[in-house]
Amino acid sequence: MTMEPSAIRTRMRDPGLVAAPSTDAPAVRVTFEYVAWATVWLLAGTTIGLIASIKLHWPEFLPFAWLSFGRVRPAHTNLVLFGWSSLVLVGVSLYVVSRTSRAPLWSPRLTRIALWLWNLALFGGLVTLLAGVNRGPQEYREWVWPLAVILAAAVVMAGYVAYRTVAARTLPEVYVSNWYILGGFCYLPILYVTSYLPFYQGGLGNTVVQGYYMHNAMGMWFTQLALGVSYYAIPLLLGRPVYSYALGVLGFWTNLLFYPLIGAHHFIFSPEAWWLQSTAILFSVGMMVPVWAGTGNLLLTFKGGRGAVRRSYALPFFVTGLIGYGLASTQGTIEAFRTANIYWHFTNFTVGHSHAAMYGFIAFIAWGAVYGLVPRLTGREPNPLAVGVHFWLALVGVLTYVISISAAGVLQGLAWVSGQSFIASVIAAEPMWLWRTIGGLLMVGSHIVFAVNVWAMRPHRVIAPAPSPDVVRIPA
Amino acid sequence: MSFGGLHTDHRAIVAVAAIVFFVLTLMIAVLPALREQALSTPTGARPRGHEEERGRRVYLREGCGFCHTQFVRDLPMDRPFGRPSRPSDYALEDPPMLGTQRTGPDLADVGTRQPSEAWHLIHLYDPRAVVPQSVMPAYRWFFAEKDQAGPGDVVVPVPAGIAPRGKVIVAGPDGMELVRYLLSLKQAKVSP
Repeated sequence: MTMEPSAIRTRMRDPGLVAAPSTDAPAVRVTFEYVAWATVWLLAGTTIGLIASIKLHWPEFLPFAWLSFGRVRPAHTNLVLFGWSSLVLVGVSLYVVSRTSRAPLWSPRLTRIALWLWNLALFGGLVTLLAGVNRGPQEYREWVWPLAVILAAAVVMAGYVAYRTVAARTLPEVYVSNWYILGGFCYLPILYVTSYLPFYQGGLGNTVVQGYYMHNAMGMWFTQLALGVSYYAIPLLLGRPVYSYALGVLGFWTNLLFYPLIGAHHFIFSPEAWWLQSTAILFSVGMMVPVWAGTGNLLLTFKGGRGAVRRSYALPFFVTGLIGYGLASTQGTIEAFRTANIYWHFTNFTVGHSHAAMYGFIAFIAWGAVYGLVPRLTGREPNPLAVGVHFWLALVGVLTYVISISAAGVLQGLAWVSGQSFIASVIAAEPMWLWRTIGGLLMVGSHIVFAVNVWAMRPHRVIAPAPSPDVVRIPA
Repeated sequence: MSFGGLHTDHRAIVAVAAIVFFVLTLMIAVLPALREQALSTPTGARPRGHEEERGRRVYLREGCGFCHTQFVRDLPMDRPFGRPSRPSDYALEDPPMLGTQRTGPDLADVGTRQPSEAWHLIHLYDPRAVVPQSVMPAYRWFFAEKDQAGPGDVVVPVPAGIAPRGKVIVAGPDGMELVRYLLSLKQAKVSP
């Protein structure tokens, strides 16, 4: 059965898809547990990040083996990637899957098992990395393999729940959110297994896989879930259909075709095959298609909705996150060019870029989704003033962070290009590292406010079973 | 424009997405990785000794590779660090540590550039004793403070005022092994 876009657009005006809150109690609880645990890992991960930041301008700070820079750095990245960003997006995604399919979450029990496996892997990862048990500086795959197996199992379980929920949908079509979300759940296991299997990773083969892995973790996992959630939450909160359904689908396919080919742009001028590097640069430009299809489409959905943004405490997070998506991705494309790479590669500019993406884009989308959707689940709202404090602390914090660390990167690059002795680049960057810590302090402060707000949104102890007319339980 | 039957078929969406990504993974990661693996043949560089290999594990454990690259590019600014890296340089490396951040200098050829064992030991004990503006962590847990050196102890010749009064600094096994590894980082000679 095919359906013309006009018919789909009409369908998207169907109030059923922007339905009233009604979900079964176990699904409410497990979704909230994902958000709550994500918040715990956010606090832990960013506190550790702050420690790493302070150490760059105060090297004697906390001079213990377990907290030395080389150990807290991977602990920070793994916790914020696999703890905070993944868990919050998975939790919210499962809710979106259920709502847009108008079907109950397939198995809250399996969802919860996945959460606890996930937490087990994260806790194990934190302890082993601080103890110095790792696979070397292979970014975001530093965990020893047993922990990776546990995480992979958790991802597959949560993905299976999403798949079965969509399979049990009571609408004929699969809403575009679910394309992105199911896509993400397909890609991550392939990506993760590819990155750990050893057969092709001798010598430089390892580096090829490293570029592929760390790059696609962003575009084929976090971006997928964040866009999937956005395509549901933004139209819902604005009370209007998405600007162009077709652009959403275009974004999905172009992302799948262009994004995976970009990984080698992390190793420009390396002894890797030149064609591989050139392909990566070429498709880094191609990546602009899905990026601006997504950003443009979702931002245009806001057209005429300025009043709604002013009244909502969730929508400003989405606006910021979408702008962050467009800007950070465009920055990434520019960094891939060989000329720009000469000045920026190996510098802190990369650190600024990754924070613009993971924080300015992913974290802000996640916060928008939590503030926009969780009160509908639990019937409890946070204090709007506290949400405002969170927003401004996080925004000013991340701007301070990204601007200062990018400036540090530029200063490092200029020092190297001008042929000064290496230490000149350290001296040039050091004042900026202090500013980066100030930005980081504001960010961590905003996370504490966020944690308070999450607590305020917790479910009631006893959730009245709310049988809703639009949820029909279909036998699996 | 029609979306075909995909938008009503979750199985088809998942199957197409997974297969496309899998095929792209083979094309852009697995097959090129196999090719690079085949190209990464050793060039007669001396394999690491037992102690150097243990030192490499200390290097991994402490995450040195998050701040130090082992990857010299064919760019003027990289000349001080050695000749441009080649696939053969990484033949025996598991994992190869090209790196993405150069907060500290590149170490691909540090054994040639800084061959002094004493310098490395002092630098690991207190980086700011030899490079005042350095922001590197001090790896004190590689060392022991003793009243006097015993037989076989390697005493670190730290400058006056760095060690606690009346104590000598003795390198522990981790520190010695790490320095052995650093000194082994010498780019093999290749014909240009």
